[in-house]
Amino acid sequence: MTIASQLDHPTVPSFDVTDPGFSITSDEVHAARERSWYATTNYGIAVLRYDEVSRLLKHPKLRQGSVQWPAHNGVTEGPFAQWWASWILNKEGEEHHRLRRLMNPAFSPKLIGGLVPRFQALAAELVDAFERPGHCEFMGEFAEPYAARVIAIMLGLPEDEWPIIAREATNIGLAMGVTIQSELPTIEGALERLYAYADALIEDRRANPGDDFVSALVQASRDSDTLSDRELRDGLVLLIFGGYDTTRNQLGLAMQSFMNHPDQWRLLAERPELGGKAVEEVMRVNPTVRWVTREALEDFTFEGLDIAAGTTVHLFSESAGTDPRVFGEPSFDLTADRKPHFGFGGGAHHCLGHFVARSDMSEALPLLARRLRDPRPAGGSTWLPDSGNTGPMTLPIDFTPGA
Amino acid sequence: MKIIVDLNLCQDHGQCAIAAPAVFRMTDEGKLEYEEIADEARRAEVEEAADVCPVQAILIEG
Repeated sequence: MTIASQLDHPTVPSFDVTDPGFSITSDEVHAARERSWYATTNYGIAVLRYDEVSRLLKHPKLRQGSVQWPAHNGVTEGPFAQWWASWILNKEGEEHHRLRRLMNPAFSPKLIGGLVPRFQALAAELVDAFERPGHCEFMGEFAEPYAARVIAIMLGLPEDEWPIIAREATNIGLAMGVTIQSELPTIEGALERLYAYADALIEDRRANPGDDFVSALVQASRDSDTLSDRELRDGLVLLIFGGYDTTRNQLGLAMQSFMNHPDQWRLLAERPELGGKAVEEVMRVNPTVRWVTREALEDFTFEGLDIAAGTTVHLFSESAGTDPRVFGEPSFDLTADRKPHFGFGGGAHHCLGHFVARSDMSEALPLLARRLRDPRPAGGSTWLPDSGNTGPMTLPIDFTPGA
Repeated sequence: MKIIVDLNLCQDHGQCAIAAPAVFRMTDEGKLEYEEIADEARRAEVEEAADVCPVQAILIEG
């Protein structure tokens, strides 16, 4: 059965994912999940259930699906198009594996573990600096400086330069929207400034290698192969861009989830060792990456559905993470044993920075639970659309200060 | 050196097959296959495979 012949089939749901009002976590999507493992969309198909998402995420007939994004929006040359093409995420096969082999060790838990005390100190410093007792704009006063300063700590940049990291990463993020072409001057200006940062870092660590993250990347070698200055610079700027926005948004979504489950926030304050489980539970039911994109490399059949080469396959992470077939009745419980979520994607393109993200968020959340008691929305929050990559733009909250 | 993969944890992401392709590989169906005994000369890459496994499912004995 082909996708086209299923379009009129009454049991196969259909979503207009480009409609600004479409919500990927809506009752409509959850109801569709009960009727069918997939839905048709404007781009191809959306996959809704845990088991099918898990298998398609790592399916050998699918490639990562965003490589054509700039070209589809009329951006085919220039610095941004070149940088996009350089992304490890947009490479496949041996070209991808070579980069991954060279980059992976720098992101290993061994290297990241040493940064934990600095993450703790940073979270405490930010909460101490809130302007008003019992109130904060959570994104601007915590999530943004935390996410940007974690990157500064990793790269060995001065932490007081975090607003530059935040601003330029946000400017590059404009490339993820449909206005990419008109925003290109801003995007490429940000790229140029981050390249300058990266070039200076690479030059410095080549001259003065240490036991830090950038030195590990600069010195990474495999069978006498190493990363070129160009590859290092492209990779470092991808890390700044990819690491900032996702961490910022995921922290905001964590606060949203816990405000809806105050008993679990109190539990986390009492039992900080649940920080790691808190990150996993939030990312299961409220992941910032709402869909993971894949593209069919060739025609193939999956669960009786013929998928043609070039079809875009969106794997819905929240829908899979709350699939009643696997997780039962809806619940949010830090003490439950869960199957893995898909908030970090999976397969060959599994998030490179996940140990860092897991580590920094699992330090931040218990500290916040202790210091920001009974958090509740203060009104006036603003949100990104509930698809693609989502999160709060602003999230004012009131709380009871804790020690 | 003996290699044990906890198949209850393994999610077939395949990062081990990228790090140490002589010891770990993914089938055409995307499932993990691996050598349970690996040559000592492969130790560095096997340790790297264990280190980068997203779910930390690989144990090396000996």
